[in-house]
Amino acid sequence: MPLFFPQEGASDVRRRYKPDVIKGDMDSIRREVLEFYASLGTEIVDKSHDQDTTDLHKCVTYIRDSASGLDKSNLCILVVGALGGRFDHEMGNLNVICRFSYMRIVLLSNDSLIHLLPRTYCHEIHIQTSVEGPHCGLIPIGTPSKSSTTTGLQWDLNNTAMEFGGLVSTSNIVKEEKVTVQSDCDLLWTISIKKL
Amino acid sequence: MLRLQSIKLAKAKHLTVPSPSSLRLVKKRMIAMDLMHHSSCFLLPTIPLQRRPSLTYALLVLNQNLPRFTPLLWNHAQLHLCADGGANRLYDEMPLFFPQEGASDVRRRYKPDVIKGDMDSIRREVLEFYASLGTEIVDKSHDQDTTDLHKCVTYIRDSASGLDKSNLCILVVGALGGRFDHEMGNLNVICRFSYMRIVLLSNDSLIHLLPRTYCHEIHIQTSVEGPHCGLIPIGTPSKSSTTTGLQWDLNNTAMEFGGLVSTSNIVKEEKVTVQSDCDLLWTISIKKL
Repeated sequence: MPLFFPQEGASDVRRRYKPDVIKGDMDSIRREVLEFYASLGTEIVDKSHDQDTTDLHKCVTYIRDSASGLDKSNLCILVVGALGGRFDHEMGNLNVICRFSYMRIVLLSNDSLIHLLPRTYCHEIHIQTSVEGPHCGLIPIGTPSKSSTTTGLQWDLNNTAMEFGGLVSTSNIVKEEKVTVQSDCDLLWTISIKKL
Repeated sequence: MLRLQSIKLAKAKHLTVPSPSSLRLVKKRMIAMDLMHHSSCFLLPTIPLQRRPSLTYALLVLNQNLPRFTPLLWNHAQLHLCADGGANRLYDEMPLFFPQEGASDVRRRYKPDVIKGDMDSIRREVLEFYASLGTEIVDKSHDQDTTDLHKCVTYIRDSASGLDKSNLCILVVGALGGRFDHEMGNLNVICRFSYMRIVLLSNDSLIHLLPRTYCHEIHIQTSVEGPHCGLIPIGTPSKSSTTTGLQWDLNNTAMEFGGLVSTSNIVKEEKVTVQSDCDLLWTISIKKL
């Protein structure tokens, strides 16, 4: 975080950007980092005994079940750092957003944004053209789609079947400020983030 | 059409008639299917001689930062292709692996045989440099329906002359990271060409498909890969997958996105076996040496 504010002292930046909670296995966090944030009042939640779920899974569960003082009626969880690195980690993180399909969870990297479009809804995606697009995709992750329909894309789907090994909508282009999507299965929506 | 070689020798060892009770055992079930062997020999400095027919490697460079072992893969490959912007990466980054040498000398030594694709990313001076050295430039800018990786795999399958394709393995760098839709498009290419050996490589991971029509033996090169691994039912739920050699083996276990997906698994033995009712992606971590 201090690298984004080179004119300020690193300590000042770190104090300003202090996490409320640090949670997980605690097998990666450096000792001095843990002590620094603990001394500032960050809540440390050690779940090192639970090896069956990923760090992302643990944190989403924590937010869903524990985080007090948070209005959860219209919650959206923004996640950075879930993509890139080890591929099995990335797939595990995609699986977390599939498992928590009833929650809004957005994965973000420098290049892309990803979130789930659950099949139980028709979706309207309002494109913020100043910061995202035009490259986009719809990914039938985990289950073939017999029928998906879109509007607002260069290559719209029209009751089109999609599956890995066949058609997957990638390198598509957003053409209008509103994109609509309807499908018989959960799809991952992805859109490029502009480099400004 | 490339065909995967069945391992007649291994099958001959299993010519016992199974009793009904023994049919539940994993090893005896492997009689019904051909075996497909996998080994990341291409990550070793020297590829060891093996009983099995050796593979011919083609290297494909896509438009992301080159992994640190790219020169090693280059040396093992008989065919070297760049997909469009991958030529920029080769030109800019190969000299960085050889800081004591002149950049021009490195670029001449690591000259691709073919550059193929849309040609909307490659820089003009890079194109001219390699063209002047004799690299074949295959411009497919009119074909917008397939990704650069798809075009290159098709080219290798259909056109590349002088290449022994009977036991071909295509090594791909630059297919992961970057735009997520590109990454998914590239994974879809290896699903579509499920009858070909295509390995996607990054600094952190290696990925290839395990087609459902085979029992798989994966010989782990512990000096360069592991222990972290995973099995991903990328496109279709698996009703039943079975493994040996992993910390958390599957035993007729169902897997699907939204449910169980085997990630953060650990390789426990030097041979891992996998059998499934659907195509799985195998992924293993690459050691940082």
